[in-house]
Amino acid sequence: MVVSEEHEAEGTAKFTLRGTVIGLITPAIATAIAFPLAPARPEISIALFMLAVVIAAVAGGLGAGLIAGILASTIRPLVVEDPQLTFRFDDVEDVATGVVFLSVALIVGLLVGQASEDRARASRREREARFLGTLSSTLHTGEVPDRVLDEFAEVLLEPFALSKVEVEASLDGTELRAVSRTDGESSPGPRTTVPLLAGEASIGRLVAERPDGGRPFSRDDQLLLEAAARQATAALDRARLDARARIAQLDAETNQLRAAMFSSVTHDLRTPLASIKAGVTSLLDAAVHHDPEQERDLLTTILEETDRLNRLVGNLLDLARIRAGALTPTRQQAAMDEIVEVVLARMRPRLVHHTVAADLPSDLPDVSVDPVQLDQVLTNLLENAGRHAPEGSEIRVSVQWIRDAVQVRIADQGPGIPLDERERVFEAFYRGSSSPETPGSGLGLAISKAVVVAHGGRIWIEGGPDGGCVVAFEIPREEVAP
Amino acid sequence: MNRVLVVDDEPQIRRALRTSLEAHGYEVQTVGTGEEAVIGAAESAPELMLLDLGLPDLDGTEVIRRVRGFTELPIIVLSVRDAQQDKVAALDAGADDYVTKPFAMEELLARARAAMRRAQPGEPPAPTMRFGALEMDLGRRLVLLEGETLRLTPTEYQLLEAFATHPGKLLTHQWLLRKVWGQGYGTETTYLRTYVRALRKKLGDDAQAPQLIVTEPGVGYRWIAESTDAES
Repeated sequence: MVVSEEHEAEGTAKFTLRGTVIGLITPAIATAIAFPLAPARPEISIALFMLAVVIAAVAGGLGAGLIAGILASTIRPLVVEDPQLTFRFDDVEDVATGVVFLSVALIVGLLVGQASEDRARASRREREARFLGTLSSTLHTGEVPDRVLDEFAEVLLEPFALSKVEVEASLDGTELRAVSRTDGESSPGPRTTVPLLAGEASIGRLVAERPDGGRPFSRDDQLLLEAAARQATAALDRARLDARARIAQLDAETNQLRAAMFSSVTHDLRTPLASIKAGVTSLLDAAVHHDPEQERDLLTTILEETDRLNRLVGNLLDLARIRAGALTPTRQQAAMDEIVEVVLARMRPRLVHHTVAADLPSDLPDVSVDPVQLDQVLTNLLENAGRHAPEGSEIRVSVQWIRDAVQVRIADQGPGIPLDERERVFEAFYRGSSSPETPGSGLGLAISKAVVVAHGGRIWIEGGPDGGCVVAFEIPREEVAP
Repeated sequence: MNRVLVVDDEPQIRRALRTSLEAHGYEVQTVGTGEEAVIGAAESAPELMLLDLGLPDLDGTEVIRRVRGFTELPIIVLSVRDAQQDKVAALDAGADDYVTKPFAMEELLARARAAMRRAQPGEPPAPTMRFGALEMDLGRRLVLLEGETLRLTPTEYQLLEAFATHPGKLLTHQWLLRKVWGQGYGTETTYLRTYVRALRKKLGDDAQAPQLIVTEPGVGYRWIAESTDAES
């Protein structure tokens, strides 16, 4: 969309080539038609010449009209009154007709010019309005101030035929600057500077530059740039407030999360401790006699609860490590299918109530990963699948090579995860709405995500083809900084 | 009676280990620092050392290095879950095995027995070995699986021999590479993995439910098959 372009000022007599040609041709045509008719019906010739003048003025503007008028008033007397074509221009009637022709040319030409200028102005206004509208929606997309400034600088280039835009603004004591330029080198041409005004105060400036040989900036360009700058200022202000609001919201969410975490951790730590202590005190109680089977039950409970506590503490430590930014993978060349095999071998006893299937091609390239961390991710994901999928259903692990990355998918036939929760389940301490009572600290997926991201990969949830849930992650072969 | 030296700075762990080990008929000496551990290993000549890596004075790996200066006594490292590098360093420094804290007593005892059995002096590997359906004749470099001769490449055979002559021991990547490929090797884990995979396939061992070779991710491999009497 181009809003700034040159237009002809058609209200003044301008003798363009096109206008001159029209001004010459129309009386010529009128002469050709009037010539045979003139001696008999002189009034028709007057009308014809008048028509020629009007047509010239309408089609070619004031200049064309005047040329046609002069020609018509000169030729008409010859055609009408002197078939011998001797020049004679002394008649009062001829002079009067000439004056009338020229007046008509002048009036029609001026009117036409005015109308065409009105039209040009209207269409320019419309383009400007459309430009400002687009600008406003471009700048109001909830971006941070830096992005607003960048986009502003970028979006001005084409409509104003600029070669370079520089915007500087000072916001809350921070200096922001954005520069954009068209491709290709060009030496600087005309430039103009427009202030960014917030109320009366200037918070920065916009410098627009056209390439060498470009048109100078017109008054219209200047005004439109000022309007654009006002919009940019407003957008910057909004972005700044949005950013503040986001921080406030983040704070609130963090506090909420902290509270949730605190109650969740307290509960999760206390529960196994309570079972262990109850079991041990019962066994130590001299007054109670347990038969061997009861004793074994109590001891088994103690063992299971100890393992649970151990896993939870491990997860909490990992979480602390993630928060401290200390989750750095110790990478080595490893085969993903081998890591999966090891985890499956270890997890099988805990997944005896499910059918565990694996698609593990053994010819995949090695990846550079931390095998221990990946082991933990797979363990977490398999534990989750085992917790949520009904007994007897299938849990399928598959490894694939897709576009220079290894992709692992763990599919279960559990209840699945609703679309709107598929991002949130990766947040620490988040428990799915459908299974708030399922045991688990709500840390497994958060830790898994942190590990995968630390490896430069990504992790996501899909729906299975027949319901259920697929957790998939992929890790690029080459080391990528997260 | 087998004497075990327990090195841990936590009194509760020392007490628990002493109680359990004594109940299994071991004579137990406990110390809390690395210096005491080195002195204990030298003076009381234990048959096994259980060594916690997180000691207040000396680094656990340093303790192993010093002890290895004068004795080949089996050392089992006790370490927390995440210290993978420490484990590998300890194994490469000469530790025989590791057990992750918290551990189950039966697991620790099994590892301890295996380590002490391997350390029995004056017992060169038997010329023929049998692990269930697998038979090996080390002298003739012959391998039979269910009575059929198994065709192995020289590297596969050397790898199998390295495993079978160290039953139950956790063999690190570095150790295996040097043993099979030579001293100049140590980091080429991809080679090793390829050959382990091939060997597993020929031996019919399923990595998802291994009967012979267990993978210890990031550390190495362990031959878990129990040797059955080759003569019978």
